[in-house]
Amino acid sequence: MRILAIAPLMLAASLAAQQTGIVYGTVRDTAGKPLHQAVVRILSAPFTGYTNRAGVYRLGAVPSGRVTLEVGLIGYLPIHDTITVIAGDSVRHDYSLLLGRVWTSVSFVVSPLVVTAAKRPQSLQDVVPSVALMSDSDIAKRAVNTIDEAVDKAPGVQFLSGQVNIRGSSGFVEGLGSRVLLLVDGVPANQGDRGGINWDLLPVDDIERVEVVKGAGSALYGSAAFGGVVNLITREVPLGFHARLRLTGGAYANPPHSEWSFRDFTGVHGGVGLTSSYGQDDLRGAATVGGWRSDGYRQQDHRDHWQLAGKGEWQASPDTRLRVSGSWASDQYQEPLAWCERGRCEDRGQAYQPFLIDTGGLGNHTRSDKGYLAAVLARTPSERVHWQARASWLRTHFTDFQPRSRDDFGVADRFGGELRGEFRPDGSGSVVTVGAETGLSNITSNIFGGTHRQGEYAAYGEGERPLGRNGSSAQLTAGARIDFLTIDGGGLTAVVSPRVGVVLLSGAGIWRASAGRGFRAPSLAERFPDLFVNGFRVVSNPNLEPEEAWTLEVGHARSIGGTARVDAALFWTEASRLIEPSVDTIKTAVDTQVVIQFKNVVRARLAGLDLAVSANPLTPRLSTTLGYTLLYARELAHGILPERPLAFRPRHLVTIGADYTVGDLGVGADFRYSSRFERVELSPPSDPRVAVKVLDLRAGWARGPASLRVLVANALNYLYNYAPRTLEPVRTVSVTFVYIY
Amino acid sequence: MQAPPAPLARLRLPLAVAILGLACNEGLQPVRAPTACPPGFVGICGTVRFRGALPDSTQAVYLVAYPTFPRTRNDLFNFVPLPPQSIPTADSTYFYTLGIPTGRYEWVLAAWVKQGFTTANADTTLREAGFYRDKADTTKPGVVSVYGTGTDSINIVVDFANMHPISYYFPAVRR
Repeated sequence: MRILAIAPLMLAASLAAQQTGIVYGTVRDTAGKPLHQAVVRILSAPFTGYTNRAGVYRLGAVPSGRVTLEVGLIGYLPIHDTITVIAGDSVRHDYSLLLGRVWTSVSFVVSPLVVTAAKRPQSLQDVVPSVALMSDSDIAKRAVNTIDEAVDKAPGVQFLSGQVNIRGSSGFVEGLGSRVLLLVDGVPANQGDRGGINWDLLPVDDIERVEVVKGAGSALYGSAAFGGVVNLITREVPLGFHARLRLTGGAYANPPHSEWSFRDFTGVHGGVGLTSSYGQDDLRGAATVGGWRSDGYRQQDHRDHWQLAGKGEWQASPDTRLRVSGSWASDQYQEPLAWCERGRCEDRGQAYQPFLIDTGGLGNHTRSDKGYLAAVLARTPSERVHWQARASWLRTHFTDFQPRSRDDFGVADRFGGELRGEFRPDGSGSVVTVGAETGLSNITSNIFGGTHRQGEYAAYGEGERPLGRNGSSAQLTAGARIDFLTIDGGGLTAVVSPRVGVVLLSGAGIWRASAGRGFRAPSLAERFPDLFVNGFRVVSNPNLEPEEAWTLEVGHARSIGGTARVDAALFWTEASRLIEPSVDTIKTAVDTQVVIQFKNVVRARLAGLDLAVSANPLTPRLSTTLGYTLLYARELAHGILPERPLAFRPRHLVTIGADYTVGDLGVGADFRYSSRFERVELSPPSDPRVAVKVLDLRAGWARGPASLRVLVANALNYLYNYAPRTLEPVRTVSVTFVYIY
Repeated sequence: MQAPPAPLARLRLPLAVAILGLACNEGLQPVRAPTACPPGFVGICGTVRFRGALPDSTQAVYLVAYPTFPRTRNDLFNFVPLPPQSIPTADSTYFYTLGIPTGRYEWVLAAWVKQGFTTANADTTLREAGFYRDKADTTKPGVVSVYGTGTDSINIVVDFANMHPISYYFPAVRR
């Protein structure tokens, strides 16, 4: 009843504010330090605001439409940014200012703030490793259901049947042991048992942007940041009452060849998501509920997904903020584990049937529940000190129902905690970040050896110091982290991961160089497997050790002619003790047995070029992007095996994107080329290997609070597979409607 | 003096990209089931003919090859490929392709595996179901050579009514 009573008041307030909006955000220096008394003003109207000690500004009652903001502070170069203010809405824009000698009227390009590369906000131009960004508009225009479908388009990133690779880091090991760390708002979210990633953990509409940090990141993030870090950053809860409705629906193409037809209807998919939020200056909250279902594009591929997510923020004082967030997702899906080869289904005389599954897997389905809960308390007692404490809990629970054999299950809880401080000892821009982090994984599973526990305890520190000389400025970064790992309360292992880097800003652009160490602790699933594969036992290896790598990178970024930006990096990774499944014979006291066991056996080298270009050629309405990764991935000689290509890595990976916007309308396309894998593992001889050439087309219309987007993914219906006997998605048409209140 | 570019000239690049994109659509295609070793294949190929009724307790039938005929029970696990390749048993014949390295193989056989098989209970759950036979003396295994290509006509008859346990070849040692 109380809600009904206040609803008219909220509506009246909303109507009064319909012609104006609110602009708010933060202003920091390029090292992430909040700037006090920075001026933020609208050039076309008399609206001026100042930042408080936390660097936060707020402009109320800004006229709706496109306005130009000027952000400045004496001693820093000003920024001019054109933004769109929607009537009755609030919009957040964060800025970083570059140190400069005078206040001039010269406009500088807005450099995005990133928070992942150094565990604190900093300007993208000051970041030591290579970083790829994906904004909410990048995500929205692709009209995807899960975030991995959008991140897959970032330069140097490739998903192999759901397993993320950054510069070829992970390859494909059936979702085990990801060499990429997933963060949700900075909170580690890799599974506690398999070390893999649930990309549908968060509703895609709750994600504001994605930061992909490439290369070894263990100096700050420890295990799993072996090949890089992906940070999903959720939307800030805006001021006032807001709601967002998302409806999506579409259809899958049928097989292009009659020999492969498998059903007499067209498969469809659809979903709905609703987010509502309410925010005041000191208290804010948001909740999302939704779900989607899909017939899938092949036999036994039906999926239902339900989701609930929430976020709350309490600004206890100008310097203290508490944020609590969580999400819960439940999936029930059929398992199309492997496509059918000749003789293993109604093969119609074909060597393989990519849309049909092996009859041995008929009836297999899975229930998968997963969720997380995290709380972060952050405090900025002075301009020179910021600290935050974090506690988190991630739970995954799966049950594989297998009519022809026993059911498998696994429950994993991963508890985490972190205390981190940022200190700016003087006014020169130096920053020191120190912290301590702990993680505890508990698993119970009939295929991972019962109940096990893994503990990770770490301390880290990193310092950044600016160096200026001859009109150019440089920044030196150095740090290290030490991780202690325990298994079932014993077996202590220590790993030290240092990193050093330098960034040089000059008239010729930005040069950066770094060297660092990455490592990945074996997942409990790799250490304690207890299952049979084709009658052969997969046995545990309690002595499995962390795999390690040294990464060296040199990069350069520069603008060309004011309409293009190029970022190129040469990288070199030497990896050792990589964990791979090994089929072997072992001698016991009684006889010899053939077993499969995960071992530290492989040394590898991954080197190459990572290139990202963005440009507005011909006209500002046309924006284009190019990503190219040249990858030299070799498994070095070990034992009796000679040097050979690393499995499941393409030599060439190209992503081309283009978008053309006219008024409310926009059209665009993405093209992805991945060269044929030179080597694969556990693939039958009949498994074809083809290069990947996928074209996505899209069109969108947006006016005011409503938008409608059409996506034709894999428009050419190019059929291909990455993982053995696993068909990748066929042409899929999706229509997405979003209404924001 | 050059003539101004025709309006169509501005479309050359997008057209070229579109044509290139459309022309390269040669992903997975239907492939008829093979009747001979495919080009570029290294290993052996042939037809497996099944006789007798498939036992209800069947887990799988594997095809494996031994570089030397096993002399002890422990040698039973020195086969290729690892992991072994199972073959379907739904039809009365099956044309197989078995990828194995270049070399000489003294025993190419089909192994029947009972449900519940582990290497520890192999005596009761693992049986020889048929092998490639010497053409001159069909009671003996035939020797197969692979020379960097596919070796055809390595045919095997699998008789589910006449399978041999490990003890047939290696009687248990009295302790």
